Amino acid sequence: MQVFLQTIIGGVSLGAVYALVALGFSLVYRTMGLVNFAHGNVVTVGAYLASTFYLTSKLPFALAMVIAIAVTGAIGLVIERVLRPLENRDFDLMLIGTIGFGIVLDALVIAIWGATGRAVPSPVQTEPIDLLGLRIRTYDLVVLAIAAAATVLLVLFLSRTKRGAAMQAVAMDHEAATAVGIHVGRSNAIAFMIGAGLAALAGGLVGPLLYVSPALGGALGIKGFAAAILGGFGSIPGAIVGGLAIGVLDSFTAGHFQGYSELVTFIVFTVIIMVRPTGVFGERTVNRA
Amino acid sequence: MPRLRATAIIPLLLLAASAGCSAPGANDDDAKSGSGPIKIALVDAQSGQLSSLGAWELKGARLAVDEWNAAGGVNGRQIQLDVFDDQGDPTTGTTLARKIDSEGHIAMIGTAESAVTIAMAPILKQAEIPNITSGQSPGLVAAGSEFLFLNGPTSTTYDETLAKYIVDKQGLKSIAMITNNGSYGKGEHDAFLKALSSRNVVPVADQVVTTDQKDFSAVLTGIRQKNPQVIFVGAEEVESGLIVKQARDLGITVPFAGAAPQGTPVFLDTAGAKNAEKTIVSSPYLSNDVSDASKKFAAAYKAKYNEDAELHGAKAYDGTQILLTALKSSNVATGKALADAIRGTKYQGLLGDFAYDQTGVGIFATSIGTIQNGKLVAVTG
Repeated sequence: MQVFLQTIIGGVSLGAVYALVALGFSLVYRTMGLVNFAHGNVVTVGAYLASTFYLTSKLPFALAMVIAIAVTGAIGLVIERVLRPLENRDFDLMLIGTIGFGIVLDALVIAIWGATGRAVPSPVQTEPIDLLGLRIRTYDLVVLAIAAAATVLLVLFLSRTKRGAAMQAVAMDHEAATAVGIHVGRSNAIAFMIGAGLAALAGGLVGPLLYVSPALGGALGIKGFAAAILGGFGSIPGAIVGGLAIGVLDSFTAGHFQGYSELVTFIVFTVIIMVRPTGVFGERTVNRA
Repeated sequence: MPRLRATAIIPLLLLAASAGCSAPGANDDDAKSGSGPIKIALVDAQSGQLSSLGAWELKGARLAVDEWNAAGGVNGRQIQLDVFDDQGDPTTGTTLARKIDSEGHIAMIGTAESAVTIAMAPILKQAEIPNITSGQSPGLVAAGSEFLFLNGPTSTTYDETLAKYIVDKQGLKSIAMITNNGSYGKGEHDAFLKALSSRNVVPVADQVVTTDQKDFSAVLTGIRQKNPQVIFVGAEEVESGLIVKQARDLGITVPFAGAAPQGTPVFLDTAGAKNAEKTIVSSPYLSNDVSDASKKFAAAYKAKYNEDAELHGAKAYDGTQILLTALKSSNVATGKALADAIRGTKYQGLLGDFAYDQTGVGIFATSIGTIQNGKLVAVTG
């Protein structure tokens, strides 16, 4: 029982990070119908920026995160701006464009920070909480709280603000949205910016849990993408549920199948997707697909 | 790093240009004949998760080459060290093996990844290019190539020494194991398990993780319930560090034990110095202070790269020194003659005294150290 619960706790903390990555994927997808293949690399950039401001510039962790999110958001804007001429013309080219941006970001990261990577000490130095023999890292709670806050803010933005409503409208029917005077390009730009910001948030938060290296985003990107699909691609609650589910699933397969855990995780994932191709919260009719 | 890339590319371009002018196949002989620089390839991960190994190797090898070049090279010829990035990937490695053959490199330094080296071995054997690797998997010996040499002991030596210290000396019999399913981890698993079973010790837990696993809660909680006295970790630097860090967060207080990776700064940084305290390390190069030669090496390393030397740089330095010594003693031989010259080289290195046997292993001893106050300290007696 103790192993069971501890496994869930371990899975949830990484799951929260997968959920943030999945949110970024989903937000861009629901707005533009585009899978941003550079998303994983944006996570890496965010992780490096956050760790650099935190460790090298000695800024407080929270401030380092904010700067990292702002800079990475700006990178998101650049990606969207470059790809904008292709919007509604050639979708495949846009997809390949995001892959290209991923390679460019990867090369930039290695050029700027080198290929070796760095360890980031945890900003929360308190001892883990001991709850009836279960150990909960305080930093995990911080990650969960920030992930939850980010999700709530995102949902509020999409449902309560005019700009958010405009983005929802573009997601439903971009031609009709254009007809009523909504600037589709700007809406896409905001989606890309927020998506990149979420990637930086995920990357920055995961730094102290793992090890910041150029390979970081690749692993998180794939798990995050799988999480987005599992929850229903484009769905906000789906991204959260999918992220946590992948995290916990991963954690359990690691305990039971040892060296074959990755294989089992993705077999389970494939079976779920075969049974329910639209994912848990799939609502493809609402979104552009 | 980008500067390294650029300098690696320029000779390649020049070579491509010169190859275009000469008859097909002629370039192969040009490089091997008696004039011009001696071309040696360094193949290692310069990008990806294992790039820290590749970066250390490059620094150690470069230091040795620069020392020889400053002293006039080998037989008056300068040594040209060309760097190739295998990304830690065996497939890329095999492509590079063909490439260094066609570009006329007479010997190869690297790789630091046993799996990559094993993949490259058949091609290098066919091309008769001697290769001094930093890998330590017993699988390298099993590859059975007379052109493959190790610049350190195999896992068997590391883990036999470790088991001897833990079981025979400390009397610890309740031991848990975590290893990964990569080439290095598998070698460590088999070697340590063999060393334990020869002492009639059965590990209380034998857990296997994947090479890119990030969360070890399930595995570690299982181990915690078994209450071992010591935990053996067979995984690369970063993963070992994550395992130790997460174990401490889960309230596991017993010491960890392992081979070379646990003695590196990357392991210490990833785990956190406090968490890594008391880790038992089996390594042929415990610190920069073990001998006069290592102090000199460490000072030169620090002066050149502004960072502290460690095991992998020292191994690559030794390996490169052995290769260059063999080149000198054989009058810049190539192919089989060079391989024989390497086998015949007796060399007093940073890791100890090298004397190669038929399997390509030249050194058979490691020492035990423990991490105290964030530093690896030799265990005396």
